[in-house]
Amino acid sequence: MGTLGGLVILCTGLWIATPHFVTASNLVNVVQQSTIIGVIAVGMTFVILTGGIDLSVGSIVALAGITFGTLVQANVPLPLAAAGALIAGTLCGAVNGALVTIGRLPPFIATLGMMSVARGIALMLSDGRPISGFPAGFRSLATGTVAGIPAPVIIMLALYGAAHFVLTRVRLGRYTYAIGGNEEATALSGVNVRAYKTIVYCISGFVSALTSLLLVARLNSAQPIAGISYELDAIAAVVIGGTSLLGGSGSVVGTLIGALIMSVLRNGLNLLGVSSYVQQVAIGTVIVVAVLVDMALRQRASLPTG
Amino acid sequence: MIRHYLRTTAVVLVAAVSVTGCNRGEKANRSGPTLALVVKTLNNAFFIEMEKGAKAAADSLGIQLVVQAPEREIDVEKQMEIVENLIERKVDVLLLVPSGSREIVPAIVKANAAKIPVVIVDTRVDAAALKSANARIATFIGSDNVDGGRIAGEFVAQKLGGKGKVAVLEGIPGHETGDSRLRGFRSAIAKYPGLTIVASQTANWERDQAFNVAQNILQSHPDIQAIFACNDVMALGAVEAIAAAGRTKDIAVVGFDAQDDARTAIRQGRMAATIAQNPHEMGSLAVISASKLLRNETIPAVQPVPIDLVK
Amino acid sequence: MTTTNGDTAAKTAILRMEGIRKEFPGVVALDGVDLDVRRGEVHVLLGENGAGKSTLMKILSGAYTKDAGRVWIDGMETDISGPRMARELGVGIIYQELTLIPELSAAENVYLGREPRRLRTVVDRSRMIADTRRILNDLGADVPPAAPTRTLSLAQRQLVEIAKALSLEPRILVMDEPTSALTTRETQSLFAAIRRLTARGVAIIYISHRLDEIFEIGDRVTVLRDGRHVSTHTVRSADRRELVRLMANRELDEGISGGTTVRGSELLRVENLTRQGALENVSFSVHAGEIVGIAGLLGAGRTELARVIFGADNADGGRIFVRGKLQNIKSPRDAVRLGIGFLTEDRKAQGLVLGRSVRDNIALPVLRRLSRLGVVRRSEEVALAESYVRDLRIRTPSTSQLALHLSGGNQQKVVLAKWLGCKADILFLDEPTRGIDVGAKQEIYALINKLAASGVGIVMISSELPEVVGLSDRVLVMRGGKIVGEFNRAEATQERLLACAVGA
Repeated sequence: MGTLGGLVILCTGLWIATPHFVTASNLVNVVQQSTIIGVIAVGMTFVILTGGIDLSVGSIVALAGITFGTLVQANVPLPLAAAGALIAGTLCGAVNGALVTIGRLPPFIATLGMMSVARGIALMLSDGRPISGFPAGFRSLATGTVAGIPAPVIIMLALYGAAHFVLTRVRLGRYTYAIGGNEEATALSGVNVRAYKTIVYCISGFVSALTSLLLVARLNSAQPIAGISYELDAIAAVVIGGTSLLGGSGSVVGTLIGALIMSVLRNGLNLLGVSSYVQQVAIGTVIVVAVLVDMALRQRASLPTG
Repeated sequence: MIRHYLRTTAVVLVAAVSVTGCNRGEKANRSGPTLALVVKTLNNAFFIEMEKGAKAAADSLGIQLVVQAPEREIDVEKQMEIVENLIERKVDVLLLVPSGSREIVPAIVKANAAKIPVVIVDTRVDAAALKSANARIATFIGSDNVDGGRIAGEFVAQKLGGKGKVAVLEGIPGHETGDSRLRGFRSAIAKYPGLTIVASQTANWERDQAFNVAQNILQSHPDIQAIFACNDVMALGAVEAIAAAGRTKDIAVVGFDAQDDARTAIRQGRMAATIAQNPHEMGSLAVISASKLLRNETIPAVQPVPIDLVK
Repeated sequence: MTTTNGDTAAKTAILRMEGIRKEFPGVVALDGVDLDVRRGEVHVLLGENGAGKSTLMKILSGAYTKDAGRVWIDGMETDISGPRMARELGVGIIYQELTLIPELSAAENVYLGREPRRLRTVVDRSRMIADTRRILNDLGADVPPAAPTRTLSLAQRQLVEIAKALSLEPRILVMDEPTSALTTRETQSLFAAIRRLTARGVAIIYISHRLDEIFEIGDRVTVLRDGRHVSTHTVRSADRRELVRLMANRELDEGISGGTTVRGSELLRVENLTRQGALENVSFSVHAGEIVGIAGLLGAGRTELARVIFGADNADGGRIFVRGKLQNIKSPRDAVRLGIGFLTEDRKAQGLVLGRSVRDNIALPVLRRLSRLGVVRRSEEVALAESYVRDLRIRTPSTSQLALHLSGGNQQKVVLAKWLGCKADILFLDEPTRGIDVGAKQEIYALINKLAASGVGIVMISSELPEVVGLSDRVLVMRGGKIVGEFNRAEATQERLLACAVGA
């Protein structure tokens, strides 16, 4: 797989360039820093596999976080508040799904609308102000460790494991690939394409809400402006990971590697003290090069049909 | 398909109208003069505080006040549009916190042409750009960011006894506010040969990015003793990263803006200090100045608002 | 034929390919193939799918580069480096898959990328349309040059594709199954156009699976098998069975015949089915074990009928009874639950998920049955796929091969396996043998007979009259969205069906 090679090359380069990169604590940090985009990118992978796109994930992060913060401030018990946030995120996804399937809007348009609406509601609910101060018990979602591994990393890996299982072994996953590969043939095979597409957008909304909980726990603050441009980072992770924007092919394993590449890159540039201007150039270049290499490798591996 | 779009558009419009309809502030009956305050964003506690100060002053003076802002703090273009729309509405005085110190000049020129006095608040307009465009402002109200940065630098120097390693979290490069604070901070540190700035990286004003960048800086420079962040939002992100590394006791974090969250963190001993500008005072002074302008009174060209160190 | 006995000067070789070799990772697609084509002849390239015909033609048109071998055009050795160079050398190609842009008009498609211009800037629309009209008229094609291509029928689009190739005035023209979407009349006018071209000295390389056509239009025939050149003869000296044997290297009974039918209970009855602009009061029934053929010209409403019954399109009126019970079929899902299967006309666009494996495709309609608590049982899935790969003799290295990499006939078998796996007992087959080679066709016919014998009711839509006549127990003929004739096995002859379909 091309992307894994890319990650290895990147890590080797940084290993040589700076003594601070390969240390136990830094490696843990890198993985931890990939959790936010990594978790969102799971949902994004599902959506992109169906041939869709979800631009609203960043705004859903904000809305779900504010929902959680508001509920906590209103003394709602933590588990219920968290459930509230997850429900809010899933509902946003359901609306996206309905707009795409029943409303027949292109996913780009439907989720572009949701991007603005969810952000607006988050600002209205919070009056534009961050909500701060969460109980330590909740914060352990971000600060806790199990056998030295940070909790968010465990959550992310568990999520990837589950997503991989779903995509390869569960009916939902198989339909996800089939819809992206050929929606018409799938519908003509008697699959309820509308329902499964809606479920996929719900998954994206749900994991965005899960991300918001991780983010609130990490920053000890729920912010209405959280998650701006997360959608682009998540799409980048998915695409770097080798999933086709046309749908039908790709994997969450690739996405995980894609998310890691992004965070390794940012971490490395920080460690090297590279100026912020150069950082942007480097990140953009890596995205494009990664996809180019991946495409070239695929082309060589596949046989002609003629 | 087109019908679907039309229907969606209609729904969105209805929703938008009903939302703005219940928005505070804008009243339909307009009598007497109207002031407009345009800030960088209303997602930031600093500007919300400024809005409060301006509203309080406007209410006590019985003047209409409209407050508007783009959604994102760095969106200069959106701010220009807002200003242009307000000029069309013929507000009587424009109170403006520029999102970009050079970019906003054309909007000021337009206001001049429409004979609407412009009061600049908090962020200075680039003097050279102003002059070359032949634009005029009535007054500048604000505290000096360079000075604030210097105060933060002096505090760090004293706290560290003039010796040690310091890291900086910058705002979005090219922003006047952040650049000035940085300049002030660096000039103060430069006076102490024992102090070195070992890392200076941007976190784009955002909390989650500050968390990651601070974490990464701690990797390459585990021996830093202080972090200066160009605003409190980033400072609080750094505070969480330091806490996650279990280093709260060794590293002093200094922010800027004195937001409520930052004040709380200082009380809890998680953060060392922050620089208090007084946005409430800025807002109210801006409205009072505007009312003086309407009465043709003269006002000074620069009206400083005091800066305090909160620790 | 006009071209077979012309003067020898005009019969010099215009193209010679010698020892052409092409390898893809793990596969030798061409292994030392020779081909020589003369000015003004129709040279038929024959071979089963995967024999290397398309690869050879892609090398000629510059889409692939050869690994070894030499090419001469007009006696000059050339190294065709890309499509542009092939075009400059006078090689034109008409692909099997349509390459037209739906939103552009026929004329715009024909001149795409090289529009005639006025003053080097503005596209000269009227000239473009006039030129296109002239080419289409030469073809005897009834196609409006200015209408968007998406409004044209499949056959009309095929003609536009041919016009596009002709507009470049090629000296060598490759046609890959040009008649697969054409009606008999359109085929005849295409043949007339081909004869005019050959009379002008243009060499045609003609790829087709239809033996009838080969004997009608071809001058010489080259047979390829497994990437190797088998033989070249003049068509007049060739024997039908001999050609089939050379292609497949085995004797095949080219004749088609239905099995013995035991007509069972009624499975499907349709009464007065109507859909605005497509179907008008269509009524018929299908019994267990019966093969009902549906003949008719393109656009007669045959596919529309299947789509409406299958729930892919909505009916405006009429009733559908399945096993005697009135049913309201609103979606393909409902149809599948009722045991109705639909093998679509276009297997690539509607039948298969090409980027997924053979196994995934076969299991797609029955995943619900194959899974427990949503988790697909892999062993059952593999067993299902493997049993059909064995039963239907689907040629694939394994069930995890991507559907994309299978030949047309094997792809069609995979689609069939999908519906067999669902235990569908009412099967709609829309053009079940389109674009597949002779050997595979025979296997599909055998399968259809076997299914009917096992009690499945089959509705077969086909434009190949011999197939309809040979297999069907009963034939319905459609025209203009209506059923205009019904023939039993004894009555159904190709002539009668055709006469009925055209309304003569």
